[in-house]
Amino acid sequence: MYAVAFVEDEKCIANKGCRLCILYCPEADTLKFDPVKKKAYVVESRCKGCELCVVVCNNAKHNAITMVMR
Amino acid sequence: MGKNNLKICSDLEDIMPPEYRELVASATYGKENRGWKDIGSAKELIEEHSLCAGCPEAIAFRYVLASLPNPEDTVMVGSTGCTSLVFPHVAVHNIHSLFGNQNAVASGLKRALKLRFPDREKDVVVLAGDGATVDIGLDMTLQAWFRQEKFTTICFDNELYANTGGQESGLTQKGFVMKMAPQGKQFNKVRMPEIARESGCAYVAILTVSKPNLVERVLKNAVLIARTIGPTYIQIYTPCILEIGKQSMEGLQEMRDAEGPNDRFAFREFITDEAKAFLADMDEKKKAAAAAKIGTAAPAGVK
Ligand SMILES: Cc1ncc(C[n+]2csc(CCOP(=O)(O)OP(=O)(O)O)c2C)c(N)n1
Ligand code: SF4
Ligand code: SF4
Ligand code: SF4
Ligand SMILES: [Mg+2]
Repeated sequence: MYAVAFVEDEKCIANKGCRLCILYCPEADTLKFDPVKKKAYVVESRCKGCELCVVVCNNAKHNAITMVMR
Repeated sequence: MGKNNLKICSDLEDIMPPEYRELVASATYGKENRGWKDIGSAKELIEEHSLCAGCPEAIAFRYVLASLPNPEDTVMVGSTGCTSLVFPHVAVHNIHSLFGNQNAVASGLKRALKLRFPDREKDVVVLAGDGATVDIGLDMTLQAWFRQEKFTTICFDNELYANTGGQESGLTQKGFVMKMAPQGKQFNKVRMPEIARESGCAYVAILTVSKPNLVERVLKNAVLIARTIGPTYIQIYTPCILEIGKQSMEGLQEMRDAEGPNDRFAFREFITDEAKAFLADMDEKKKAAAAAKIGTAAPAGVK
């Protein structure tokens, strides 16, 4: 089992322009912007579980990302 | 040139790896003003690699590759170290050089490209660790600058030898204790930006990767000035979270803590008058081109 990041659509405000997790995730093409839903999402197979996205999202008080076991 | 040299023959398309197909479909080769804003929507020029989870070197690679002004006409030169774990997964031509030799290899490469492609701008960008740039390769680094070789040198400064388990480098801070420097470093951190300036670099910057827009601006300045004027040097703090005992999610805060006005990675830039004039002239031309665009568009709107 691995811990990977998970974005809750209801809490994510990427539709208002937030891109913090997408920019600061150390891995390329892992946290992406869904142009249809206008939310951030995680490509789980690429996520290394570092939790930096959780830190940046929480620091901005959005609290939209949690770690889940897969 | 854009994407022409990576197009797939349609008969073979279905057997190409999905990542390659994505590169063809949405990577930003040939895009004017490519930069950090493309991150998250365009395919990036870096694939999965084996750097530690949360490693700031990985963040730095993303911003550098997103900001290269002309990736399809760029050749990067790497050296041994954690960065060399990434280069095989980078979609920009690159050469791995023997540890420390990177600026010598880049000098020859830049000259050869000039002869082979006299009418085309070919950018050469060195990217290596602090051990490679400031210790074992210092001779090659400095000689390239003395000779005014026209390429950019980027140092990913994690203030130690990460790939071999935590030895001190010239860029380690004085007093810092590492696994393989148990008494702490006895000497000061080498003042490489000042050395670069005095050795003939036309543009020098020191920064962290806490701000992607700053990385983009600095990198573009460095590459464009190196094309026309002379050598350029960028030193970027990419803390080795593993060897300094940080958790995987603490890299960004570590960089922010090291870039206050009196800290060792406070943003600084040195630029020669010639390079300054070159940038100002480029800005003027851009503004004039933008104004001309508006100027030609305006009559169409006039009824
Ligand atoms: C000629 C040579 N000498 C020594 C080594 C061993 N070696 C491999 S990586 C490394 C340290 C790299 O440190 P740095 O350049 O700071 O890169 P980092 O791993 O910290 O990113 C050393 C000494 C080598 N591979 N080749
Ligand atoms: S940082 Fe949080 S709110 Fe912002 S885009 Fe990412 S998940 Fe959404
Ligand atoms: S846990 Fe780390 S690797 Fe995974 S999505 Fe978040 S920042 Fe990216
Ligand atoms: S050893 Fe340090 S520099 Fe190398 S990948 Fe791990 S955290 Fe990054
Ligand atoms: Mg190093």
